[in-house]
Amino acid sequence: MNNDIAQLHPSAQGELMAHAVDACVHCGFCLPACPTYALLGDEMDSPRGRIVLMKEVLEGNLPLYDATPHLDRCLGCVGCVTACPSGVPYGELITAFRGWSEPQRQRPVLQKLTRAAVLTMLPRPGLFRAGASVGRFAKPLAGLLPQALRAPLDLLPGSLQPAQPLPEFTPAQGARRGRVALLAGCAQQVLTPNFNAATVRVLSRNGVEVTVPRDQGCCGAAAMHTGARPLALEQARRNLDAFGAGAQGVDAIVSNAAGCGAGLKEYPMLLAGEGEADEARARELAAQVQDISEFLHGRLLEGTLEPTLPTSRPITVAYHDACHLAHAQGVRAAPRALLRAIPGVTVLEIPEGDLCCGSAGTYNLEQPELAGQLGDRKARNVMATGADFVVSGNVGCHTQLQSHLGRLGSPVRVLHTVELLDLAYRGEL
Amino acid sequence: MTPEKLALTTTSPVAKPVSAGGADTALARELTRQLGPKKVLSNLSERLNYRYDAIQFGVTPLCVVLPESTADVVAAVKAARSAGVPIVGRGAASGLSGGATPLEPSLVVSFTRMTRLEIDPARREARAQPGVITLAVSEAARPHGLVYPPDPASLRTSTIGGNLGENAGGPMCFKYGVTGDYVTGLEFVDAGGEVHRLTREAYDLAGLLIGSEGTLGLITDVTLRLTTPARFTRTLMASFPEVGQAAEAVSSAIAAGAVPSKLEFMDQACVGAIEDYLHLGLPRHAGALLLVDTDGHDLETVEEERALVEAACLNAGGTVRRAATDAEAAALWQARRSVSPALGRIRPQRMNEDIVVPRSALPEVVREIRALGDASGLTLVQFGHIGDGNLHPNILFDPRKEDAHAVHELAHRIALVAIRHGGVLSGEHGIGTMKRDFMTDAVDPVTLDVLRSVKAALDPAGALNPGKVLPDAVKS
Repeated sequence: MNNDIAQLHPSAQGELMAHAVDACVHCGFCLPACPTYALLGDEMDSPRGRIVLMKEVLEGNLPLYDATPHLDRCLGCVGCVTACPSGVPYGELITAFRGWSEPQRQRPVLQKLTRAAVLTMLPRPGLFRAGASVGRFAKPLAGLLPQALRAPLDLLPGSLQPAQPLPEFTPAQGARRGRVALLAGCAQQVLTPNFNAATVRVLSRNGVEVTVPRDQGCCGAAAMHTGARPLALEQARRNLDAFGAGAQGVDAIVSNAAGCGAGLKEYPMLLAGEGEADEARARELAAQVQDISEFLHGRLLEGTLEPTLPTSRPITVAYHDACHLAHAQGVRAAPRALLRAIPGVTVLEIPEGDLCCGSAGTYNLEQPELAGQLGDRKARNVMATGADFVVSGNVGCHTQLQSHLGRLGSPVRVLHTVELLDLAYRGEL
Repeated sequence: MTPEKLALTTTSPVAKPVSAGGADTALARELTRQLGPKKVLSNLSERLNYRYDAIQFGVTPLCVVLPESTADVVAAVKAARSAGVPIVGRGAASGLSGGATPLEPSLVVSFTRMTRLEIDPARREARAQPGVITLAVSEAARPHGLVYPPDPASLRTSTIGGNLGENAGGPMCFKYGVTGDYVTGLEFVDAGGEVHRLTREAYDLAGLLIGSEGTLGLITDVTLRLTTPARFTRTLMASFPEVGQAAEAVSSAIAAGAVPSKLEFMDQACVGAIEDYLHLGLPRHAGALLLVDTDGHDLETVEEERALVEAACLNAGGTVRRAATDAEAAALWQARRSVSPALGRIRPQRMNEDIVVPRSALPEVVREIRALGDASGLTLVQFGHIGDGNLHPNILFDPRKEDAHAVHELAHRIALVAIRHGGVLSGEHGIGTMKRDFMTDAVDPVTLDVLRSVKAALDPAGALNPGKVLPDAVKS
């Protein structure tokens, strides 16, 4: 699909968008991979359709406000990237486009405030915890509130787990066989603090030293994907400093949140055009990032992963591919192999496994109706497997699965991959 | 406005959006009144996305309707006719001949929401609305021990309606036939908005609709025959020093009585592209590769057929590799399935030819086309369902660097090679706009007149998918 985007928008981000649009041969192979196309069945809400809309807006043939309803419905799950035979970097296109278009958007005041609140609170676990605590008491009033305020309340859990502060340094158990820096994640520190605790225990058990660089902050993915590019850049630079200095001599920078891991791996795209020094630092950092399952799978392949205790009875685990792990990072085999390595565990595949659960970034807040439909569909597909557990590698999927399985009265337990491993090491399965 | 320009550039003036206003709003208002707002798209942002298929951009439609029932289609056709607006049917728009792109301001009828599908295991039939995804038919049939064989490469995306419109084939077509061979009956809405139900008795009017590319009527329901899957499959790959030898092997294997279920070929340029992309360890210096499956309910016969093919390949100067396991067979087929993405990496655009020639002529045809490609200075690759004589010579090009007319000229010369050897212009992708110009070379004037009479009988006003398939008659 030829375009004049690079000429009309002469910048690194413009070039990136031009290249992505150019690579699309509009074959339509992305359509069945797109969750919104699956729900709505129209071309504007498909990846191919959105690429055309972005092209038309960038070339000045279509007003931005005309295209935004369809572009806003994109989850950014990048399932289309996996399906695309021509290698169109759709994720880069929509992210760059959102960064370009957001400053020109006119949003209702309430929506502006909610977005600002989310982007302010999400990266600050203390503030997020405080907000969530207050919000819990407002839950009964949710029905009386406008949509923009109701959606965040609907998402809050009924109770918050107690905070589990992470030590800055955790030594390896036994002989030291490695050293990693851990990205702590923002929302998950509040919503699912056990993800980090389990990660540290499993790593340490495997002879891996864990550092948690103190100066690290939000990875910036939420800001990046909602078009708040200046904020995303600020957050990325902070992490480039923190991990550049605090993670010297590590084997890897480990993330246990698919969205955050993908965010770090996207730094080269985010920082394109921001000066050679920053671009180089971004590439270096991105090359070091591994999902926890990738890192442990490496040990499994080497034959150095500590064996877990067998489960007390045979258990079945449905593995849910988080979009930002499977599609954005291409990590599919590693978590499954780790789960299968636990004696007594059978891994089951979920029907329509490639379809997003509806909890991508801030989607639950901005498109609650579609997010709800996808969450319900995912929960029913999980229940159809008949598994004892459903496991994923992302906090967003975790809360979505929990909420929709709960709503359907399912007893299936929702865990992070590393939590299940942790339980297996402790003989609690 | 010439079709070749439309076919080859997406930035030509006709690709620019047509702004709202005028007749479109009246039609959209009327359809909204009758069908409700959810089934009618009238904003520019919505209509813009219904002007293309997988190969071509056309004119932005005046209005798009997403029917959910035959009654909705009837209403849409009648309203468009009253407004004097042409009607273009559309499935998933994964077609490769421009068949679903409007060439003038039109009403687009998009069938993606008509997705009812029922399997009748006792009758071994599937009843489907046109928006059902092709793969879904086989998936729904599988629990009943049944299968729907037509397997176009786009089967995960394309719709049954689109398959019917183009009479789609796929790798299985040599042994199992194409879409039309599985249709036992269909329902369609004619140009006047009347509903007809057809079986295939007496005059095969259903056969007329199949492959008519939406120019004779809009298919709204179809009954498809299902079969039982083969119990055994065996796979082999053969490589040949020169492209014509592969074609010779195919001719002689089939003459010896082999009926492979799949018989695919890829030339050297194609294999090179796949190797660059996936590093599968294919013999990239071979002039051509053949990929063959034999299948059936009796293992002995399946093995015998594979031996026949193997002997033919060796006789033609080839080297044969048998797949020992299912995994090995799957790895070999991965190469074939990766052709499209691999080619997409070489040049941003391609002109996909779709000729069919008699198998006896294959060696000469592939050699002639190779020579045309080499002489043209353009990048040309060949692959296809060679068992059926169905070849897909693809011209890969960058429209900003390479001349669209040279591409069109080469495509035309390839079509003429096929015609000269007794072949036809389209195996499975249709004529659409891409090959409409070549129809006068391929079909004699008397037959063309008969085809025009058929069109005139079913669509006297020329309202259905204008500008497709049949070239305009030259006024004497």
